[in-house]
Amino acid sequence: MNRKLINWSLGIGTPLLLVATWWAASQNSTNTFFPPLGTILERFQALWLFDHFGSDVMLSLRNLVLGYALATVIGVALGFVTALVPVVRWALDPLIHFFRGIPPVALVPIFISLIGFGIEMRLVSITLAALFPTLIATVDGIRSVDPSLKDVSAVYRLTRSEKLAQVYLPAAGPQIAAGMQVSLQVAFIVMIASEMLGSSQGIGAMTLLAQQSFMTSDMWAGILLLGVIGFGANMFFEVAKNKVLAWYVGSRRLSKS
Amino acid sequence: MNRNLRKLLVTAGGIAAALALWQFMATGPMAGGPLPPVSATLAELAGLLADGAFWTSLADTLVIALAGLAAAAVAGVVLGVLIGSFEPFRYATLAVLEFLKPIPPIVILPLVVLIFGPTTQMSWFLVFFGCVLPIIVQTVAGVHDADPVTLDTARSYGLGRTEILARITLPSAMPFIGTAMRVAAPAALVITVVAGLLGGGPGLGSSIYQAQAGGNYPTLYAHVVVLGLLGLAFQGVSRLSERRLLHWHASYREVLPA
Amino acid sequence: MNTTDTNPTINIANLTNSSPAGGGRPPRLEVTALSKTYGTGANAKCVIEDLTFTVNTGEVVCIVGPSGVGKTTLLKCLAGLQPATSGTSAIDGRTIAGPPPEMALVFQDYSRSLMPWLTVRKNVRLPLRHLHLPAQEMNQRIDTALEAVGLAHAANQYPWQLSGGMQQRVAIARALAYRPEILIMDEPFASVDAQTRFELEDLCLKIREDFGMTILVVTHDIDEAVYLSDRVVVLGSKPARVLDVVDIDLPAARDQISTRSLPEFARQRTTVLSMIRKPA
Repeated sequence: MNRKLINWSLGIGTPLLLVATWWAASQNSTNTFFPPLGTILERFQALWLFDHFGSDVMLSLRNLVLGYALATVIGVALGFVTALVPVVRWALDPLIHFFRGIPPVALVPIFISLIGFGIEMRLVSITLAALFPTLIATVDGIRSVDPSLKDVSAVYRLTRSEKLAQVYLPAAGPQIAAGMQVSLQVAFIVMIASEMLGSSQGIGAMTLLAQQSFMTSDMWAGILLLGVIGFGANMFFEVAKNKVLAWYVGSRRLSKS
Repeated sequence: MNRNLRKLLVTAGGIAAALALWQFMATGPMAGGPLPPVSATLAELAGLLADGAFWTSLADTLVIALAGLAAAAVAGVVLGVLIGSFEPFRYATLAVLEFLKPIPPIVILPLVVLIFGPTTQMSWFLVFFGCVLPIIVQTVAGVHDADPVTLDTARSYGLGRTEILARITLPSAMPFIGTAMRVAAPAALVITVVAGLLGGGPGLGSSIYQAQAGGNYPTLYAHVVVLGLLGLAFQGVSRLSERRLLHWHASYREVLPA
Repeated sequence: MNTTDTNPTINIANLTNSSPAGGGRPPRLEVTALSKTYGTGANAKCVIEDLTFTVNTGEVVCIVGPSGVGKTTLLKCLAGLQPATSGTSAIDGRTIAGPPPEMALVFQDYSRSLMPWLTVRKNVRLPLRHLHLPAQEMNQRIDTALEAVGLAHAANQYPWQLSGGMQQRVAIARALAYRPEILIMDEPFASVDAQTRFELEDLCLKIREDFGMTILVVTHDIDEAVYLSDRVVVLGSKPARVLDVVDIDLPAARDQISTRSLPEFARQRTTVLSMIRKPA
């Protein structure tokens, strides 16, 4: 009990201590790069709550959510087809493997040149970049479904759609989820990159603008917001994943003990 | 035999069809526009390979990525072992690591560019930041995973703390570190390109930005092709090295039929 | 027709055992010259060769043979899960091309045949959903099946929380709830402790009684084969061939204690065992 208490206080206390140290150390700072934490927080509230909330924050988030949703749906669907139809797999495999090696951000200039600087470009960039990790993970997951489960489906004569929905999908679930988590990261990164490269609206754009205008506190406010969104989105995903894949978490825990 | 032949034909056909579509779009409906024909792209690619500046750019990218990766590996493993071996450290750093882990380096790019300017150091720092965290986290997990029975046995034989660390903990953490490195290597490349593209650091990323900004489309596409191949190479090499270096570990052994 | 244990010749042509042994039961499952070879040319590996035997309606037939001989391959080809290289299997004269609706299989690798994301109850329910039964009947079947294998208390647990033997029982319950007419089991009691094994063997006989199921069991346990069966198909090794089909001449009502202490039991056991033990 005593040990647990120590661990808990360390766990909570250290980050609080770090923040307090940052506050204290930067309080009277005149350093251009590290303005006082108080000022940063003040600018944070001024910018994002709620002045630019609608115009920039919601814009970025909407692109992120929409692009990610499209990417995962298309990725899983295409993944199923690729995994189960040999001709499609043989044709698409080399293309997929080539494109997966390209840093997603490097595709943004191409999209800019093709589609321009507008919202469509950002959405297309996010969707296409985030598509690949989910697609590849889905193909891998379905290809590695245990043959015994396929035999069971055959013996009890499940129809094709029953087999896909009730056996293949849950069986590949853990792998698809892992792919979707990477896709989330990619979507987030490309959201920021597409804004920094191509627009004047959005959190990424505003942060870059602030940096270029030497409005350091505003830049920090942007960085903080992006950090919170990145962390929050991932945490949200983890919670959802652990709920849906509770069976998997449990079985892994058991096999480790 | 028949099946393999068919597979080969479909694969080749797929690639050919994709290239044909590209060429058709570039010379037909979108002629003269931002989509360069395959022929122009390939010609530009050949030109790049003969251009010294390209190779310098490529070398810059590789050096930054590898230097950042190496530094991240050393710092990551050292910190990871420290944190993993002492429980108070683990709890103290837990919140910070968990918060920083999902945040990609692009988030702090504006700050780093502000401090370092569009330089090699800026790119290197971003690579370091992006790679060190996953390596720390994985190393901690690896240290944590050391078999308690083996540890107890070692202790009962009177092995000192450092010896246990070197001979048991570290080797058993190797697969975790190996995985982290395998994932970090391609990431290092990506971060270098991002630093160049968005922050102006030297290397292929910067070349891409300039090509797009200058409307030089064959160059743009040629560079993207180069990056694709480079990315594949990084992934392949890191996977191979992981296999090579860790082939002795239990997780790689195949169970022979009884 | 009883075969004696002094007949070692492997004469395949004579062994199309279509004579009903259990008192005039019509043939249900007929295996004719079933063969399976993997690979081609120099790397061709013949696993089972020219297997022929019959299972009559309502019979319990056990297949025994040395381990690794290819019994699982035989079952997979028989059930239509894998295409045979030559030969056929048929139910009521209809050739089997894919898993027939009247048949259920209990696999040897039980832990991998259960869906890890479903509870025990939902695992048993899986094949029934597809049959579109009314909810009440479905639940009743599931309850009955789980009780029969002694797992009613574990209905809401996950397979990975159960021991190997319990997992195997879930797989059996799943097949039972499906109410197949032909039940095929691949070493179903291998991972179960001796006590539970006796209970499950008796369960096997009981479901044959209650439902008139035709049951085909692959086992390496000779005692079990003799105890359960009306007839025993003995396989010889590499490639697997039918060495002989032994009629089990024991009283129809089997009991773990009395049947196993009959002298006839020991004699039949020796017959089968010496056939397997004999160098090929």
